[in-house]
Amino acid sequence: MLEVKGLNKSFGGLHAIRDVDFSLPEGEIRGLIGPNGSGKSTFFNLLSGVYPVDSGTVEVNGKDLTNAEPHEVAGAGIARTFQLLRMFTEMTVLENVMIGYHNHVQYGPLAGVFGFGRVGREEKIIRREMMEVLAFIGLEDFADIPASELSIGQRRLLALGRAMAMKPRLLLLDEPAAGLSPVNVDHIMAIIVRMKEKFGLTVVIVEHILKVVMETCDRVSVLDHGVKIAEGLPQEVRDDEAVVEAYLGREMDDEEVKRAIHA
Amino acid sequence: MQNFISGIAGFFTRLKSIHPLLPWGIALVVLLPLPQFTVNNYQVYLINFICIMIILATGLNIVKGFAGQVTVGHVALYAIGAYTSAVLSTKFGMPFYVNLPVSILAAMIAGVLVGIPSFRLEGAYLALATLAFAQAVEVYIRVTNYLGAASGIGGIKAPEFFGYSLRKYDDYFYLVMPIMLAAVYASFAILRSATGRAFMAVREDPISAASMGINVRRYKLIAFVMSAFYAGLAGSLYAHMLPGYVHPNNFTVIEMVTVLLMVVLGGIGNIWGGVIGAIIVTIVADITREYYFYQLLLFGAVIVGTVLFMPKGIGGIIDRYFVNRRFIAAREETAEVKRGIVGGSPDESSG
Ligand SMILES: Nc1ncnc2c1ncn2[C@@H]1O[C@H](COP(=O)(O)OP(=O)(O)O)[C@@H](O)[C@H]1O
Ligand SMILES: [Mg+2]
Repeated sequence: MLEVKGLNKSFGGLHAIRDVDFSLPEGEIRGLIGPNGSGKSTFFNLLSGVYPVDSGTVEVNGKDLTNAEPHEVAGAGIARTFQLLRMFTEMTVLENVMIGYHNHVQYGPLAGVFGFGRVGREEKIIRREMMEVLAFIGLEDFADIPASELSIGQRRLLALGRAMAMKPRLLLLDEPAAGLSPVNVDHIMAIIVRMKEKFGLTVVIVEHILKVVMETCDRVSVLDHGVKIAEGLPQEVRDDEAVVEAYLGREMDDEEVKRAIHA
Repeated sequence: MQNFISGIAGFFTRLKSIHPLLPWGIALVVLLPLPQFTVNNYQVYLINFICIMIILATGLNIVKGFAGQVTVGHVALYAIGAYTSAVLSTKFGMPFYVNLPVSILAAMIAGVLVGIPSFRLEGAYLALATLAFAQAVEVYIRVTNYLGAASGIGGIKAPEFFGYSLRKYDDYFYLVMPIMLAAVYASFAILRSATGRAFMAVREDPISAASMGINVRRYKLIAFVMSAFYAGLAGSLYAHMLPGYVHPNNFTVIEMVTVLLMVVLGGIGNIWGGVIGAIIVTIVADITREYYFYQLLLFGAVIVGTVLFMPKGIGGIIDRYFVNRRFIAAREETAEVKRGIVGGSPDESSG
């Protein structure tokens, strides 16, 4: 499904992604972990076309998407979420998911003027379908309030809803549970799994806490200083010496390391 | 007052549910006898000019209010529309119904040029780039003899239909007012569709919008070209109105600030607000005409004041009533859809 070869990206002197190969079979939930600053978000930004790559190739289902523009990547069936959410705060919750649906809208940009009947009918269908998306993530009661009024947990849900509205085949989630309490982390992970099963998705979940991805992911890849240092089943990765080292090497006290890796 | 406004809003909602065009038809009928209520010819001229300014401001609102692109080049597009009509009419003897579409086309092509810098520039930098374009157009007109240079172009023929010339302001009103209504309607129709949502997404967060599949450059360009359509339309209508005379002084920075004030005062991204802003500002600008050079100061100060103390403008105040209603209506619609989901597939409502 996703085939990344020899990916490199530097910011000035900082080598943020270094010779990363990444291969993902269809239908897998992959965890991508690593300490803060290890290059996980940068990796997603390269895949989704937000940053241009320095070298390397990105292929999805045999289609070359190296340095494709973000909307082209989206058009190829890849949805991503952002660590910092990037909601459209002045738009309503429903309008936020409707943006996700944008590429599936049938009528043209100027159809509103002459084809109001057609636009009206299609808008009604879109609205219904998007309400189903909101029902799936449990935000249907908030459809018409501005996204700015949502709590952080609700925003994380909305990020999933916006991605779901895109009807993607590959889902890239950047810290989908960041800032949530443990109960809400479990809740959102459960929704991700349900989403994956219902729509037959392939998923990559970025996390900096290993524990979060342990139960959810089929396999886990580990980044450190932009280098992929390990890959395998969750238990293998957890016991990998390089991985423990990577987490230990950071400025964390023992408690934090324990929590990050085992807990 | 509150009951009155929300009463009107409710009335329009009901009309629209009968047919989407019904409220517009009624507005047309209500406005038709307007010239009969004026005391002199000048007032009719002013009403016509207000209609033209509403078209111009609505166009600016699309690109600036909805798509969030800070352009100062809008008046230059208006000038291009007006001068295209002036040249076609006086040098080539072309009639209005040819000049109007050609002027709109010329403005749209220029709109592409103004829009291209928006691919790379944002905010103040985009404002500077478009300002440079506007200044270049104004200076070019001022020094080009073919375009009448500093003395302008006179003798532009009034539109003629079936041998009847719309030479009087009263007659011109019946041309410009329906066009204005159609233009405002069209902007509503487009901005309430997926296109309007895409504009807003581009304004709020272009990276997020792009990652969700919106071709940001395409929609920026659509916004610029749409707004140029409105500017060209307004320019051509202005040129063909009595006295059939265009002058570079009609298209300066002062005019740009004036149009900007209409949009800001009305409430950025609020079409009705922009219409009300256009009416108020055109009337105030007319009253203070003798202090033309102080207008820049006055209008600039009002823009800053509005942005600081009333960021949603007049439209924001009205919206508080309208939106409340819309909110209730949307809620009801949502509830209906939800009942559909629950009733339709019970397996989905659990969990
Ligand atoms: N746009 C950028 N400009 C400069 N440096 C960046 C930029 N984006 C990320 N970085 C740097 O790249 C490194 C990796 O960052 P990031 O991918 O965000 O890490 P992670 O998501 O794993 O926490 C960090 O050192 C960060 O400071
Ligand atoms: Mg990150």
